[in-house]
Amino acid sequence: MSVKERDPLTGHQTTGHEWDGITELNTRVPRAVWWAVGLTHLWAVIVWVLLPTWPLVTTYTKGLLGLTDRGEVDAAIVQANAARADWADPVLAMPVDEIRADDALIGRVRQTGHSLFGDNCAGCHGRDARGGPGFPNLIDGDWLWGGDPDTIIETLNVGINSTHPDTRTSQMMAFGRDGMLTRPQILSVIGHIRALSRTDAAPSADNPAGAEIYADNCASCHGDDGRGMEEIGAPNLTDNQWIYGGDDDSVYRTIWGGRQGWMPSWQGRLSPTEIKILTTYLLDAGAQ
Amino acid sequence: MNRLFRTLLKPFSAFFEGHARTHYRMERHSIALTIGIIIAAGVGGFVEIAPLFTIDETVEKVSDMRVYTPLEQAGRDIYVREACYTCHSQMIRTLRDEVERYGPYSLAVESKYDHPMLWGSKRTGPDLARLGDKFSDDWHVRHLIDPRDVVPESVMPQYAFLARTSLETASLPGRLEALRTVGVPYTDEMIANASLDALGQTRPDREQADGVVERYGEATHVRNFDDQPDRLTEMDALVAYLQVLGKLTTLPDQIKIVAEE
Amino acid sequence: MVSRLTETERATAILISLLGLAIGLLMAVLGHGDPMGAHGWVVMAFCGVMIWLVVSHLYDPEPTEDRSASYYDDPTRVGIILALVWGVIAMGMGVWVAAQLAWPNLRFDAAWSSFGRLRPLHTSGVIFGFGGNALIATSYHVMQRTSRARIAGQLSPWFVLFGYNLFCIIAATGYLMGVTQSKEYAEPEWYADLWLVVVWVVYFVMYIRTLQRRNEPHIYVANWYYLAFILVVAMLHIINNLAVPASFFGAKSYSLFSGVQDAMTQWWYGHNAVAFFLTSGFLGMLYYFLPRRAERPIYSYRLSILSFWGIVFFYMWAGSHHLHYTALPYWVQTLGMTFSVMLLVPSWASAGNALMTLNGAWHKVRDDATLRFMMTAAVFYGLSTFEGSFMAVRQVNALSHYTDWTVGHVHAGAMGWVALISFGSIYAVTPLLFRRERMYSAAAVEWHFWLALAGTVIYVFAMWNSGIIQGLMWRTYNESGTLRYSFVDSLVAMHPYYIARAFGGLLFLIGAAIALWNVVMTIRHVPAERRAFDHPTDSEALEPAVPAAE
Ligand code: HEC
Ligand code: HEC
Ligand code: HEC
Ligand code: HEM
Ligand code: HEM
Ligand SMILES: [Ca+2]
Ligand SMILES: [Ca+2]
Ligand SMILES: [Cu+2]
Repeated sequence: MSVKERDPLTGHQTTGHEWDGITELNTRVPRAVWWAVGLTHLWAVIVWVLLPTWPLVTTYTKGLLGLTDRGEVDAAIVQANAARADWADPVLAMPVDEIRADDALIGRVRQTGHSLFGDNCAGCHGRDARGGPGFPNLIDGDWLWGGDPDTIIETLNVGINSTHPDTRTSQMMAFGRDGMLTRPQILSVIGHIRALSRTDAAPSADNPAGAEIYADNCASCHGDDGRGMEEIGAPNLTDNQWIYGGDDDSVYRTIWGGRQGWMPSWQGRLSPTEIKILTTYLLDAGAQ
Repeated sequence: MNRLFRTLLKPFSAFFEGHARTHYRMERHSIALTIGIIIAAGVGGFVEIAPLFTIDETVEKVSDMRVYTPLEQAGRDIYVREACYTCHSQMIRTLRDEVERYGPYSLAVESKYDHPMLWGSKRTGPDLARLGDKFSDDWHVRHLIDPRDVVPESVMPQYAFLARTSLETASLPGRLEALRTVGVPYTDEMIANASLDALGQTRPDREQADGVVERYGEATHVRNFDDQPDRLTEMDALVAYLQVLGKLTTLPDQIKIVAEE
Repeated sequence: MVSRLTETERATAILISLLGLAIGLLMAVLGHGDPMGAHGWVVMAFCGVMIWLVVSHLYDPEPTEDRSASYYDDPTRVGIILALVWGVIAMGMGVWVAAQLAWPNLRFDAAWSSFGRLRPLHTSGVIFGFGGNALIATSYHVMQRTSRARIAGQLSPWFVLFGYNLFCIIAATGYLMGVTQSKEYAEPEWYADLWLVVVWVVYFVMYIRTLQRRNEPHIYVANWYYLAFILVVAMLHIINNLAVPASFFGAKSYSLFSGVQDAMTQWWYGHNAVAFFLTSGFLGMLYYFLPRRAERPIYSYRLSILSFWGIVFFYMWAGSHHLHYTALPYWVQTLGMTFSVMLLVPSWASAGNALMTLNGAWHKVRDDATLRFMMTAAVFYGLSTFEGSFMAVRQVNALSHYTDWTVGHVHAGAMGWVALISFGSIYAVTPLLFRRERMYSAAAVEWHFWLALAGTVIYVFAMWNSGIIQGLMWRTYNESGTLRYSFVDSLVAMHPYYIARAFGGLLFLIGAAIALWNVVMTIRHVPAERRAFDHPTDSEALEPAVPAAE
């Protein structure tokens, strides 16, 4: 078994063993491999000298460059903020109308707004901001709490029914479940709401019961004419824009079980500039 | 250059030549081979892992770090059970784009009580390290029941069964006890009341809730998370956990503010 | 199978199975109402089958021949089949989860069919079910041939093989029930982990005893690799799975470490599962089957030494490249990065050693699909280790981490290297083991080769594309210096690639199914071959002086 043979093809000698027909040549390690060993080790040693690397029981070698990963990202962010300042500062300072009139600035807002809205708001309000069942459309010009920029900024800061201490609160009570209205009464008040949004008919004439129930229970929040009340975030019921759906079934469920939308507060998570950008972004998108 | 390199490499090569001879003798002894492998393979892990326990600055010191409530821990166990880590990371890296998208980078201390850590290795869905309070409970419930109901583009699986399954709470004291064994500072009182506290956290109008706040702090979310007031479900637990992600300590925000100044 | 055992051995087998049955019963009773209880039933069913297997042949005549004069191939035969069966199931799961990412509703309205539960079934199924069985089976074959000695023990090879498969079954059924520790590649719960330790210790003892009774003065390289695989996997497995059960009557446990320490331990394990499960053992396979098939001497013994010790030493430092830019301290990341790059040299040295061995046999590579499997595997091994070292550089990892690029790298290694070398070895060993003249269908092997290659290439290219697009979209800035895309934008962009990946995977799966079919047909329909000489003989080996290098 242990006969050193010369491989006729390569001319190299074998190590002299054979295992189940397998032999090995005793070829020298090719020089290229030693080069590769040398280069990679050299590179590694340089890196070790420059960067934090070797543990020393209670501390570690810090490296000549003095880098820390946290320091690097902090610096990158400070730098990014500085680079954006030329447009971000004006956006924070200027009124929304003026930003919208400034092509350059509103371009920035549109660019930035896309991912800012996409990553934070689209989950609820949809990628196109048109809302969906339970989440209001933000570009239909119809606002629960009012459409001027400061109001929207405030809404974003504190949220609605959120965990923020100054949150806006709004609640539509559960008239059916809590026994305030019976089923026929709810149906008749729905009839009244339907009539409210029609301009041709006088609502109380053909449904006096519904009108009375409405006046007693709903008008305090949604107003005598059903146009809502921005101070308490009560929606307009006459405009064919529905958060929870406008079909009889959904409206019935709203009145029976009540509603309390929950909009997170963004203060802290988003910077004042970002909140201003989003506000402008929405007002801009709504106007188009 | 070539010359220089050759001279530099000479010792390597000579060492190796000597080594090859030793090796030739060693490879006839299975035990020598075994010992050689154990030694060669043992070094790396030891040098990298052991100092993580001895170097103080590895884990930040904070005073306001709180533990998971029993309900949140139960939710975490469901997160583990459903292997959400196969799609979601809980680790915001120290990179500008991650900080700008997800919030302050994750700190070591934030997963100090996480057995096991759930940092993840794949982001089919977004990072969840700062998820707490980003969405409403109601949104989470709807999203978990059918993600495409709220995010039409989503590829996340439906977890509707969570809302139908009652949460098993009897084993919670045992689980907290085991966690204490591995280093989470649960008190005897917390362990003894674990099952009750899990229920109490979803019953804001009952007195059981007071015990939860007393033991785990004012900032604890005491809510009926899944909108089924009469039942304690797995959905309650999972949503409670999701709503506390990134909220165990305020240190990341403090660091962020300092860094920006 | 059973007829090769003596009566005492049969009785011992039954006793061990009864013990297993008793443990299963205990688990079922104590863990009633918990998934552990269900696992008790699984254990009992498994042990029941074992007992039935033995009892049904209990009174067969005892073997009369001198068993030590021949190799013991029965366990290898069974192991090869098990590997293929696991392979088809687990790759099928891969295709299913791939399809779920393209069409998320492609599932049942049941908890078990969600992505999170099926994905570990795929990963563990291929790594442990397919890869592990292939490793155990080929290691039995290789250790005997290269030691010219029969495997140590009659029962222990069976104990290891079946015990290991019991572990795999507990793992797989556990995932479906939601039993997992959420530690990648170490998901099984504490009792499965404990059981694997028992199996593994027996495996090690058996291996070392076989080596000690060898009739060759030197231990062949393939055995170094198998030995490293067994030893290091034991070390990794035990440390990474340290955990405290919430109750001894239930499946749930909590890992001993938390946070950073847990992360580092996990990826020390995870990366070296790659190194010692998916690489070292398979290099053992390569080192035996490739030169045998090519009928060429190994290109360089010295290069073997360099690459073996390089791999054993450097790999163990590289795990922290899975944690770049995380809360793991910077210094560990630097170590992970530098060692990963230094690791490239021994990795390429072993790939190069394999390919250089083929010098003088390239015409065989052209004509013989089996050898082509092995050659292609060596190429993919080189490719994926190069890619790995590249991705381990922090700045590159900033882009690749968390994306499909990692998944592409994984499958270049897993499909291109691990699966191809396994298939090649299985095709080479099947006729030997079953004493057949050849494989049933050479054309089918050829088909399988091209399907596997096409599948791998489609899969890997799809993932490189999607991964790099994903990574770039996450960090692309517009002229305003703010993020250009939202997360969901990147998700939408992945859709076509996910479809392509599922298609590539399907091709690969069809290939694997063909392999299973071909092996079964070979056993059934190919005429037997009389082998002149295939058993251990006494050593006549003389000890040569250490030869000088050429
Ligand atoms: C958890 C879901 C959710 C998320 C995320 C969310 N919103 Fe809202 N938002 C709501 C709900 C629900 C309401 C309506 C509250 C109500 O019904 O009273 C609302 C209301 C609003 C309003 C008030 C609308 C009005 O008519 O006055 C604005 C403005 C708004 N959201 C903007 C945003 C922006 C910008 C973001 C992202 C930074 C965002 N929302 C993220 C759920 C969400
Ligand atoms: C205490 C104030 C209050 C009273 C009283 C009240 N509502 Fe409301 N209502 C609200 C608020 C606030 C909302 C918005 C809830 C939300 O979006 O979360 C709302 C929402 C609604 C909606 C859903 C609108 C949509 O876009 O989907 C309907 C319909 C409605 N109310 C009808 C009624 C009717 C009918 C009554 C009387 C029976 C009534 N409300 C009484 C405050 C009130
Ligand atoms: C197949 C992969 C997959 C699995 C498994 C998965 N998710 Fe998701 N997840 C996604 C994707 C993709 C998104 C982004 C689209 C969306 O919001 O639905 C997402 C989004 C989310 C979000 C919204 C995050 C945000 O900031 O927008 C939450 C919360 C979430 N998942 C929680 C979970 C939980 C909890 C589990 C386990 C029970 C889970 N996911 C399992 C893929 C997955
Ligand atoms: C039929 C062929 C295969 C298909 C269709 C397939 C599909 C998949 C899919 C869809 C994933 C999940 C990726 C994600 O989360 O985005 C995955 C992960 C994985 N697969 Fe496969 N796979 C196949 C073959 C294999 C083989 C043969 C192996 C190993 C030998 C393997 C090992 C793995 C591993 C280790 C992972 C985890 C990767 C990670 O976490 O980064 N796969 N596979
Ligand atoms: C020199 C050799 C190798 C190096 C340096 C290396 C490096 C890497 C790196 C940097 C990652 C990505 C980590 C991350 O960003 O999360 C990775 C992931 C991975 N690699 Fe390799 N790799 C090597 C060889 C291989 C081989 C041969 C395989 C064979 C199958 C393999 C399988 C994997 C797997 C399964 C993962 C995914 C781990 C996870 O779940 O995240 N690697 N590797
Ligand atoms: Ca992974
Ligand atoms: Ca485990
Ligand atoms: Cu790795």
